[in-house]
Amino acid sequence: MHRLGFCAGQLGSLRLRLAGQLLPARAMSLKVGDKLPAMELVEGLEMKKVNLQELFAGQRSILFGVPGAFTPTCSRVHLPSYVRDYDKLKAKGISQVFCLAVNDPFVMQAWSDANGAEGKVRMLSDTQAIFVEAAGLSLDLSHLLGGLRAKRFVMVIEDGVVKQLDVEPDPTKATCTLADQLLQSL
Amino acid sequence: MTSQVKPGDRLPQVTLFDGAPNKPVRIDELCAGKSVVIVGVPGAFTPTCHSSHLPGFVADFDKLKAKGVDLVICVAVNDPFVMAAWAGALGSGDKVLMLADSRAEFAKALGMDIDLTAVLGSVRCRRFSMHVVDNVVKSVNAEEDSSKVDASSSCRLLTKI
Repeated sequence: MHRLGFCAGQLGSLRLRLAGQLLPARAMSLKVGDKLPAMELVEGLEMKKVNLQELFAGQRSILFGVPGAFTPTCSRVHLPSYVRDYDKLKAKGISQVFCLAVNDPFVMQAWSDANGAEGKVRMLSDTQAIFVEAAGLSLDLSHLLGGLRAKRFVMVIEDGVVKQLDVEPDPTKATCTLADQLLQSL
Repeated sequence: MTSQVKPGDRLPQVTLFDGAPNKPVRIDELCAGKSVVIVGVPGAFTPTCHSSHLPGFVADFDKLKAKGVDLVICVAVNDPFVMAAWAGALGSGDKVLMLADSRAEFAKALGMDIDLTAVLGSVRCRRFSMHVVDNVVKSVNAEEDSSKVDASSSCRLLTKI
C-alpha cells in the first residue's frame, strides 16, 4: 500500500528515469512508487562501494537519513531510536535498516561504534551528496556544518521501490522519522 | 591558490569552531601572545590521524609544555560536532584543542588545502605541524604524502622548538 509522507510533502518537478539509469544532474524528487536509482554509495572502513538497487533488491528495508553524524538530534534521539527498536522492526518484516548521511565512512563507523549500532543499523556514506541531491533530499547546511547534508527522512523500500517516505519539516527535530512512529505505520 | 605558509608569515585571521557551530574562535586571537603548536589533519577518525598522528601529540604534551608551548591545537575540515566527538574518542581532553575548519577556510588560507573529494567528500587539510609564537610562524612541517606521519610528527616538531 502506498503511503504519502504525512509531515511534509515533497514537490517533485521531474519523474525519475527508468531503473538502471543515473538520475539527471538537476535536482528532482524521489517519491512513493519510484524505484531507487542505480547509484553507488560507500559503506564501512574498507570503503566498499554499494549499489543502491542491488542493496535493496528483494528485501523490505528502511533507509533513514540524518543531517550529521554526531550532531545533537541525530545522536541523542534519531539513531538510538532505530538501534533500540531494531527487533520490533524485524518483527514487522523489515529485513535491513540503513542510516544515510553526508559524512565520510570513517566518521560514520565511529558514530556507529559510539551508538552500538553494529549488527543493527548499517551506515551508508553519501560522501558527495549525490543521492540526496538527486532525490531532492539535500539540505544546505554550509553555514553550520560546512556543506550540503541530508534532510532528516525515513523511507520504507520494498524490492527497490519506495513505498513510504516521510521528511521532517524541521530537520533539527525528530518526530515522524523516529522508529516508534514508523512502527505504527508498518 | 594561496602559496603554502612558511616561517615568518603571520597566522591568517580565520574563524574556527570549538565544539559547536555557535562557538566561533578567531585563531589569531586565540594564539596572540602565546607559543602554539598547530596540527593539521585530513580527517577526524581517519586511520592515520586517529592511530598515529594525534596520539603522538597527546602523549608528548608534557614535553611540548616543557619547551614553553602554551597550547596545542588540532584542525581538520570536519564539522564541530565531529571534532568534539573525535576529541572524546582520542581522550585528548585538555591537552589538544580540537577546532573545526568546517568550510576549509583555514586550510586554504595556509595553502594547506588538498582535494580529497573522491575519498572523503570535500577539500580537506593536508597533514602538517606548525610552531607559532605570537601569531608569527616559526616552523612548518608538511607531509608530502598526507597518508603518512613523518615530518609532521610530534617528535620531529620537538626537535625544532
